[in-house]
Amino acid sequence: MTQRLANILISAFPDMLAAGFKITIPLTVLSFLFGMILALLLAIVQVANIKVLKQISQIYIWFFRGTPLLVQLFIIYFGLPSVGIVLPAFPAAVIAFGMNVAAYNAEAVRAAILAVPVGQTEAAYLIGLTYPRLMVRIVLPQAFPIAFPSLFNNLISLLKDTSLASCITIVEVMATAKQIIGWTYESLALYIEAAIIYLMFSTVLTWIQGLLEKRLGWEAKEDRPKERVKTRAEG
Amino acid sequence: MLEVRQLYKSFGSEGVLRGIDFKVDKGEVVAVLGPSGSGKTTLLRCISFLERAQQGEIIFDEMRHDMSHISKRMIRQFRMQMGFVFQTFNLFRNMTALQNVMEGLIAARKIPRQKAEEIAREMLKKVGMEDRAGYYPDQLSGGQQQRVAIARAMATNPKVILFDEPTSALDPELTGEVLDVMKKLAEEGTTMVVVTHEMGFAKEVADRVVFMEDGLIVEEAPAEEFFRNPKKERTIQFLRRVLTGADADTGA
Repeated sequence: MTQRLANILISAFPDMLAAGFKITIPLTVLSFLFGMILALLLAIVQVANIKVLKQISQIYIWFFRGTPLLVQLFIIYFGLPSVGIVLPAFPAAVIAFGMNVAAYNAEAVRAAILAVPVGQTEAAYLIGLTYPRLMVRIVLPQAFPIAFPSLFNNLISLLKDTSLASCITIVEVMATAKQIIGWTYESLALYIEAAIIYLMFSTVLTWIQGLLEKRLGWEAKEDRPKERVKTRAEG
Repeated sequence: MLEVRQLYKSFGSEGVLRGIDFKVDKGEVVAVLGPSGSGKTTLLRCISFLERAQQGEIIFDEMRHDMSHISKRMIRQFRMQMGFVFQTFNLFRNMTALQNVMEGLIAARKIPRQKAEEIAREMLKKVGMEDRAGYYPDQLSGGQQQRVAIARAMATNPKVILFDEPTSALDPELTGEVLDVMKKLAEEGTTMVVVTHEMGFAKEVADRVVFMEDGLIVEEAPAEEFFRNPKKERTIQFLRRVLTGADADTGA
């Protein structure tokens, strides 16, 4: 490696990392939160079997899973202005990514809700809980640990998909790399460097996932109170 | 106190309940016996509206309703007066034993948390589970889970408790602790309907026995009379089979 290339890579690194922290991460987190709220609604109207809304939810998922994310992003950022809806790039990206990930998360949540044994619902009804209450108190808390790995998987995908935002003028990690290539012509090295930045972020996410899963491991086995063998004798 | 009349229920073209007239009085313990597939469990599930009957009438606590056309609100009102104990316990897996018992009080009956906890602890004590209040269902044995489930059903002070084969999912050595709790409840005057295969329990604890086969009530009599002097051929056959089966078990 020449000294020049080494200097370019070293000076590019903090710029890319900064773009990651300032743009890529907030974009990922905001989109995912928006997508999560939307996903819960999409999943619940399906599981609750609410007429019309259920069909709308299915059509929504069909559309957003069936078309490319880049096309969705372009429709919102470049397309909507022609009907008078002009959005700045960052909000447009949050909406596009959020709506897209919502479709995937909705399926994960729906499957998890269906995986909660029906006996739980029956027992809840029989002690007098209403549907919203049994959802909030019994079903969703049990569905969450089931959905968690799939949701986190979608989060990691989203982190990488945000690189598409570089196509609508957002200067995140990928766009930063492109800019530097623009004046240094070192495309191979700099794209690899960008890849390393993404890899760093997704590694941290995977690590967080592991930690959370252990926590959520549902009162993980080792947290159990010690079996009190001597209960009888004590009594 | 609780009565159903002319109850019909079918799954597809299969008639599971074919005109049941069933009734339980206040303070009475009714055992529902019968071979598998006779419709015992379906009867309980129809009474609690977990299954919707095609036809029938329910009279409960002076309220009279058509079972095939009944509003969700009305169903909830009925259920608030009932307790139900499942074969598979169905304790809420995301809650401790104590929280399981408290949930119906807090969430459905708006009883203040502190008061609810007081009642719940008292109920757990009644079933001998007070020292397991903080345990999650996964950390309890089947018998312990079922006892907590009984505490949950009792906590709301229902007018009647329906038991759907409460010991069928348990290891044989764990059925005793559950049956003991149920016996205690019966002695306290709790109105109970118990679908069961435990002949000993039916004989000893039930006031009345209802014998079902093929979606019909074949015979019903005071418990003692039912076992001493069954009248219908079907009943005699059934009793002979299960009682000798039980003998064979103890003999082995």
